[in-house]
Parts: sequence; C-alpha cells; structure tokens
Amino acid sequence: MTSYFIRRFLLIIPTFFGITLITFLILQIVPGGPLEMEIMKIRMGGNKGGTESGSGGNSTQNIPQSAVEELTKFYGFDKPIQERYVIWVTNLLKLDLGKSYVYAEPVSDVIVSRFPVSIYFGLIGFILTYLICVPLGVYKAVKNGSTFDFISSALVFIGYAIPGFAFGALMLVLLGGGSFFDVFPLGGFRSSDFESLSFFGKIADQINHTILPVVSYLIGSFATLTILTKNSVIENLSQDYIRTAFSKGLSEKRVIFGHALRNSLIPISTGLGHAISLVLAGSVLIEKVFNINGIGLLSFDSIVQRDYPVVMGILVISTLLLLVGNIISDIIYALVDPRIRFK
Amino acid sequence: MSENNSNTEKTASVSILRKRWKKFKTIKRGYYSFLLILFLYILSFLLPLFIGRDALIVKYNGEYSFPIFKYYSAESFGQELQGEANYRLLKKQYQEEDKGNWVLLPLYPFGPNENLLDEMGGNPPHPPSAQHWCGTDDRGRDVFARLAHGFNIGLSFSIIVTLLTYVIGIAIGAILGFYGGKIDIFGLRLIEIWGTLPFLFVIIIISSIIQPNFLLLIFILTLFGWIGIVYYIRGEFYREKARDYVSAAVSMGAKNSKIIFSHILPNSLTPVISFAPFAIVANIFSLVSLDFLGFGLPPPTPSWGQLMQQGLSNIDNWWLIVTPLVAMFFTLLTIVFIGEAIREAFDPKIYSRLR
Repeated sequence: MTSYFIRRFLLIIPTFFGITLITFLILQIVPGGPLEMEIMKIRMGGNKGGTESGSGGNSTQNIPQSAVEELTKFYGFDKPIQERYVIWVTNLLKLDLGKSYVYAEPVSDVIVSRFPVSIYFGLIGFILTYLICVPLGVYKAVKNGSTFDFISSALVFIGYAIPGFAFGALMLVLLGGGSFFDVFPLGGFRSSDFESLSFFGKIADQINHTILPVVSYLIGSFATLTILTKNSVIENLSQDYIRTAFSKGLSEKRVIFGHALRNSLIPISTGLGHAISLVLAGSVLIEKVFNINGIGLLSFDSIVQRDYPVVMGILVISTLLLLVGNIISDIIYALVDPRIRFK
Repeated sequence: MSENNSNTEKTASVSILRKRWKKFKTIKRGYYSFLLILFLYILSFLLPLFIGRDALIVKYNGEYSFPIFKYYSAESFGQELQGEANYRLLKKQYQEEDKGNWVLLPLYPFGPNENLLDEMGGNPPHPPSAQHWCGTDDRGRDVFARLAHGFNIGLSFSIIVTLLTYVIGIAIGAILGFYGGKIDIFGLRLIEIWGTLPFLFVIIIISSIIQPNFLLLIFILTLFGWIGIVYYIRGEFYREKARDYVSAAVSMGAKNSKIIFSHILPNSLTPVISFAPFAIVANIFSLVSLDFLGFGLPPPTPSWGQLMQQGLSNIDNWWLIVTPLVAMFFTLLTIVFIGEAIREAFDPKIYSRLR
C-alpha cells in the first residue's frame, strides 16, 4: 500500500503541471490582459496629463512605440508563450511566485496576508460543522421516523435550499440596520476602531463581526454532513453484527456507541483530509456580501484586475492543497477502515 | 431467440421503473412538489399571457387585434404616444371615452423589462404596493414580473445544463469504465486536470472578455459540469462489468455497443438519476451566483442573482433581496424534496428500524 501512495504522490506532478499549463495558456492568450489594460490606463491618464501641461497638442494620444515595447518587456510578453511558461515554472521551483502587478509586492506576501481571515472563518466553520452535524446525524438515525427526525430533516433541507451568500444578504437586511433591526455590523472583518478597543471590547467586536458570516458559511454544509452521518449510522444499524450485539443482551447505548458509531464514522472521517485547504478557505460570494478581505475576494479581484501573478499563485497553492488533501483523505480512509486496501 | 430475450428484458425494466414510480407517488412531499413545479414550469412558458405589458386583445373601432403576437404603434389604436402603444393607459383611455372599445390586459399587466418611471413618478426602487406586488427595482422595473420571468429562464437554463452534462458525463464514464486499462488511466488524468481547474475562475475570465449570452453560459457550465457524473458512471460500469449477465452477453457474442447500451447502462443509471434534482439545484445556484457577481446573463435579462446584487447595494430596499430569495428558496426547496423522494424511491434497501 505504501507503493500505492508513493505512486499517487508522483501522479501529483503531471496533474499539477497540466492544471497550471492550461490556466497559464488561458490567461496569457485571452485578449484584454494586463498589457492592454496598462496601455489603456496610460492613454486615459495621458489624456488628462496632456490637457494639464498643455504640451504636445497631439489629440490622438498615441503612446510612443518605445513605451509600448518597454511595457511589453515588463510584463514579459516579448517572449513566446512557451518560454514564458518555462520561466514561470523555473521561478516557481525556486519558490518565487513573482510580483503582483496591482499591489507591487511579492505574490506570496499578498496571499499570506489573507491567510488569517481564511483560517479564522475556515476553522470556526469546520469545527462547528463537525461538532453539530455528527451528533445530530447520529441522534436522527437512532430516532429515525420520529417527529424530531422529520422536523430537523425539514430544517436541514431548508438550509440546503438557500445559498449561503443569499442567506447572508437576507440577514444583513434584517439585522444589519438597513430596514429592520440594527443588531450586527454591515460587514468587514473588524471595526475600523478595533485597535483602540479594550481587550473585551476587541473580543466582543470580533464576535459581532463573526456570527453572520459563519452562519452563512455553515448553512449549506449542514445538510450534506448531517444526512451523510444519519444514513451511515442507519445502514450500520441494519447490519448483522448489530443484531448479534443485541442478541448478546447488550444495552442499546452500548450497541450504538460501542459498535455502530465507530463503523459509521468511517465515511465521515475521509473529509478530514481536506482540512488542509482551510488556509485558503473563503467564498467570493460570502466575502463580497460581508465585505471581508479574504482569499475569495482576492482571487476575484485579481482576475478582474488581471493581476495574473496573483491568480497563478492562488491556483498553485490551492491546487497543491487539493491534490495532497485527496491523498491524505485516502490515507485516513485506509487507516480507519482496515478493510480498505489500495493497490 | 435474441429478440425474445430483449423483450423479456424490456418488460422487466419497465416494471421496475413502474414500481419506483409507484413508490415515488407514495412519498407525498416529493410527489406534490413534483406536480407543483411541473405545473409552474409549464405555465411559465405561457407567461406573457399572465404577466406582461402587451394586451391580449384590443377591440378598436370594431376591429380585433392581438398585440401579444404583434407590434402595434400607439397611433394605430388612437393613442397619442410615440412608438409602441401603452396598453395600460389605453385601457384607461377607452374606459373614459366609453365608445365600445376595450382592451384585455394580462392579469398582471407589467413586463419584466419595462421601465415604469414615467407612470409611477418618484424615485426607484419603489416599495411593494397593491399594484406592484414586489415593488420595482432600481431602474423602475416591476420586480414581480422579473421574478416570474427569471423562474422560467433559470429553470430552463439549469435543466438544459443538467441534461447536457449528463449525456457527456455518462458517455465518457461508460467508455472509461467499460474499456478500462490504458484508456482509463490516461482519461482519468485528463479528467483530474480538467476537474481541478477552478471553473469559476475560467468563467469569470471568459465572461470578462466576451459578454456571455444564454447559449455561451450553457456551453461553459456544461464544459465544467460533467466531471462528477463520470466518476459515478465509471464506478458503476466497473462493478457491473464483472457480473455474470455481462459475461453471458459476451459469450453470446453481443457487440460492445449492445453490451454498453442495453445491458450495463440501464443497470448503472440509478445513482445518477437520483442525483439529478440536486444537480439542477446546483446549476441554479451557479447561475444565481454568476448573475450576482455580474458575470452571468447579459442585462436586461430578468435574473434573480442580479436583483439580489441590487438589493445588496441598496440595503434599505429590503424587497430587492427578500423577494428573489423567497422565490429561489421555494423553487430550490421543492426540487430538493423531489430529489429526496426520488432517492428514496430508487433505493432498494429497506432500512430496518432499530429493534
């Protein structure tokens, strides 16, 4: 099985280069790239500058050829595309993701500066989901068909039918001080006067800014995990070994927690491998609704502004995390379930 | 012999479908949701009859015209306006004149893309009123009319995308699973690359260059949507391939295409069929999200996501968020109920209750 996982790790390499190559090509080939944007900016700026200084009198506002060439060189567009990719990969292997066009800072710094927000919301969401869904799923399985099961199922499915960002927007309207109640702030990660607050004031402020986004993150993921847990427990409860346990005279508690639960948690544990992706957690939609400067908004903005080094940087990190997360999930799967044999 | 064989097989497969349909009907919540959404969806193709600006019938000087099918200028009905006739004003005008002319308007006489500022006055967005059930948006367009037309567009969009992704995903999954070997290994790598591409990225990149339209968006979403189904079908094919009935078919000399389509495929569709309603929900989500971000259908297409985006930038106008959310919520909830019922109807396992 070790050789299987070594092979899986080696397979990351072609997949990784395939993904980066395709994205790189798409980014570089499509029109309206950073070069065109910069030229357009200069043209507009030049227009303004021209009227102020009164120089030239050239109304067409053509940029001198030399400047265009210089810009082309700055963005590296003077070289053929395959050479650009090779340069990018060589730099990547030296752990250099390049410099952001927009922020004029190394890409890695730009991305790392968003990590705290992502980890904060990601971790809280992750822990809360597992903390609530697993016990709820187990309880629903044991009480399958009861009123509680029916009502909680309905609630869970209602949550599933509302996109998280839409729910967040609704909460802002209701509780954000727009038309109804003014309970929570309109968004942001912290208040602007956060630094001047007392210690408890800081905590209160942070919690106040956390509740609505976290609820929006949770609302969709509740259904999947709860129902998965419930079905898994029910399936195990109908197995022969449970009947054996009952016929041995064990108590219901013992059977559920000692026998059924351990096997039921196997499919749930596999999701844990993707916990490493938490550093990049963050949905564009929810961050946009709550005006949180996280990874989601960063990737969205960098695409819109054609900040290609940042786009590629986020892609590199998220792809690696995803691919490694897949393998970790499988390793966990094999560890918790001795029946699973990969080959 | 072979004809006889396929006959018995067909009757068998019909009867299991019928059994599942019967079981589906017993799950009331899902069944009624299904009837409701089917009814509303069919009705939504006739929307201009109920919700729209064009009159159904106009009787003017003893002649009948049907503006719902044809453009009429205001003059042709004796209305003193430039351009197309305004049938709501025309109705009032005829009532005041009382010359035997009349206008039959749709039940809710406002179009989804019609600017109502001239008639309403004031600043948009207008709050809900008896006349405009859900108010107007920031360009003075009737929100209820936009919601209703958005329902048809959104649902059609996601049904088409779901169908296309299913066809592609099932075909590729079947090939990988049936032939296996090198095709499978190589194909899986390509699919893994394709599936890991952040598709929202790509859509935003493409949308920021070309203004996407309905067909282009369907194309892009289909391009990235088929991957999940491949894994399901491939797995099913791997499992079914090893069964005795396939060996029997092979030993009888059946062609590969015959084995794939009439033997294995019917047996491996169950998981993806029960997954279909959830795929439709996911595709509605995608469309709403793209519209919300401003990379979806081109304006002035009525869309729920675009309304919510307006609502978020005018947070005081609660109806711009609440109404599309309620509409979306009921649509998605009914589809989720259908999905849950289908899953239960297709599930052969009868869970034994604890004791």
